[in-house]
Amino acid sequence: MITSPPSRRGFLTGAGAIGAAALMSGCVASSSGGSGSQSSGGPVTLQSNLSSPQAKSAMQNLVDSYNKRGSGKAELNTVASETFRTQLPTYLTSANPPDLLTWYPGSVANSYAKKDLLLDVSDIWSKPEFAGYSAAQQRLCTSSAGKKVFVPATYYWWGVFYRKSNFAKWGLQEPTTWDEFLGLCDKLKSKGVAPIGLGAGGNTAWVASSWFDYLNIRVNGAQYHRDLLAGKHRFDDPEVRKVFDRWSEALPYFDPNGTALAFQDATTALLQSRTGMMLIGTFFADAAPKDQLDDIDFFRFPVIDPEIPLAEEGPTDGYFASAHTRHKAEVKDFMRYMATAEAQEIYIKGSSGTALPTNPTAKDSGTALVKKGRALIESASDVTQFFNRDSSDALQPTADTALTRFLAKPKQIDSILTTWQRDAQKIWSQ
Amino acid sequence: MAVFTATRVRRRATGVPPVVLAFVLVPLLAETFWVFWPAIQGFYLSLTQWDGVSAPKFIGLGNYREMLGDSVFRTAVLDTVLWLLLFGGLSAVLGLGAALLLQQERRGVGFYRAALFLPVVFSLVATALVWQAMYQPDGLINKTLEGVGLGSLTHAWLADQGTAFYAVIVPALWRQIGYVMVLYLAGLKGIDPVLYEAAKVDGATRWQQFRNITMPQLSSVNAVVLSVIVIDSLRSFDVVWALTRGGPYHSSELLSTYMYSTAFQSLRLGYGSALAVVIFLLAFGVIVSYLVRAFREAD
Repeated sequence: MITSPPSRRGFLTGAGAIGAAALMSGCVASSSGGSGSQSSGGPVTLQSNLSSPQAKSAMQNLVDSYNKRGSGKAELNTVASETFRTQLPTYLTSANPPDLLTWYPGSVANSYAKKDLLLDVSDIWSKPEFAGYSAAQQRLCTSSAGKKVFVPATYYWWGVFYRKSNFAKWGLQEPTTWDEFLGLCDKLKSKGVAPIGLGAGGNTAWVASSWFDYLNIRVNGAQYHRDLLAGKHRFDDPEVRKVFDRWSEALPYFDPNGTALAFQDATTALLQSRTGMMLIGTFFADAAPKDQLDDIDFFRFPVIDPEIPLAEEGPTDGYFASAHTRHKAEVKDFMRYMATAEAQEIYIKGSSGTALPTNPTAKDSGTALVKKGRALIESASDVTQFFNRDSSDALQPTADTALTRFLAKPKQIDSILTTWQRDAQKIWSQ
Repeated sequence: MAVFTATRVRRRATGVPPVVLAFVLVPLLAETFWVFWPAIQGFYLSLTQWDGVSAPKFIGLGNYREMLGDSVFRTAVLDTVLWLLLFGGLSAVLGLGAALLLQQERRGVGFYRAALFLPVVFSLVATALVWQAMYQPDGLINKTLEGVGLGSLTHAWLADQGTAFYAVIVPALWRQIGYVMVLYLAGLKGIDPVLYEAAKVDGATRWQQFRNITMPQLSSVNAVVLSVIVIDSLRSFDVVWALTRGGPYHSSELLSTYMYSTAFQSLRLGYGSALAVVIFLLAFGVIVSYLVRAFREAD
């Protein structure tokens, strides 16, 4: 009986709290523009979204080793990744922000740089720590105003993963072209397994975007893909339609449970030989038993149009600093350290080991799989990030809706693309 | 001296002591600061276009105008109404049924009451995780169907747009029935047994007893149950979000999940606030219209 008023009040307070938080961040944003004081004191705070136990302790090792060098003091603050994602705008607009934050380079960092929320770190990019960084990485870390705003640390790659023992048992070869790939799917189907696992169910609908990304960069090229995601082309253009025509050719080979299983469960299905192969990023290895990883191999997403230069998805992770930081010099010193081979090796040793260092002189974990992955990205003519990283987290849900609907009702593709364009327009126009 | 004490007594009787004033004003201030003011801010935000980073841009009723042409909003409204009817209706009927069945003190009845109430004490998110495992393509429900020879009925329950909505309602109901049952049990305990004895003497059937004694006596509990159900329906979020996130392609979208995804995933905080205002008006409208009617009947 008594429970009714509290539940209503709870509802109101909840709504109120959201409003209050939003309002406060609004006040802070408007008042903090001019504060550029260099007042030092206290350690540099690194706000991290790497909250899985392994990655968290690897980050702690990294911070500890920086503190041991004695050039500065840093402090790690780990936040649950979903909280981090929704709170990031608040962190950056706050007048007393965390100094350094983990996040993504490219268009995501650029959207914050355009609002003057990121610290310009162009000067440290001329330092020796950054000597070997490739032109592609430099481009990725540069804002549209020509300033460097990001320091990359690690990246990973996407590929079509399969079990070596199964392919050997069935006498199958890695395909290089789209036709060979479809032929491989046919053979796998005749062995009684679902050829292509997906993992776009549960709470990981975004995994389906990897197929869209790869088909688009194979059919229309990486630059078209980036322009499309930036709103310079339309989702109902004939070029995008071609992507889905290709996808329709492979659709009969997809696991019917593709949109019902989260990628972790889809990984299990692959390891248990219920599916033949799966387009996935190397993070899947975190959820897989270590002893089964030795049987895992991958091949490059097949070539569709030989005229189009081969780009690959190599999502990069790293750090940017808030423009309102009170520790500008200290943050830059810490960021220089993060770019060194030593720092990246410390992190990779402590984390799950499939990540690759961005510093070309840094050693990776050295397994055959990782070596092959590094060669894949280093030989790529262009590197894209991933759907949300090449556009924004706000655009990702529009893709999730469109792609799950396509997977269920491929015949409605025209109306799906019209809706997608309309939804995306709302995001771009704000 | 006597006059002096008399005035003092009178003053004490008519004036409001400062402590009482403090008891009223301090919570009022807190409520104003933490509830009313932010609520008004929410209304203001619903008139703006805001991405959470730049300054909000005032666009008048633009968000509400957009709602009229938004097909996802229409889906969400229809789903919310359907949710209110199915979730609210079934939990009230089944909760009352369970309470009537379990009201008499018999051996083992405490066990059944506890069993029905148990889901209420679990966190809904934890509940949703358990149900998610059962709904998996190779989960308990499909395995059971195959086991009893109904393999043709197996389904990707949460991934199919035809079943996702109903698959989400079941865990929500599973929890709510126990809650409503407890409310009704308390109400049933408060009915004077003499009324039933008198009815029996008059030869009333069990249905007549239920119709003419139980239901009228439960009217105050009904008001509580209705408010609880309406509020719980409109704020149903966690179970839907944990199971389907409103998907696949908006087929299990409620106003609450649409508000959340608009505000915190698409970062369209202005439009999200407008959706929140609509939810508020709906809840407020339903409750007020019921209360007005209830008071009129009481007069």
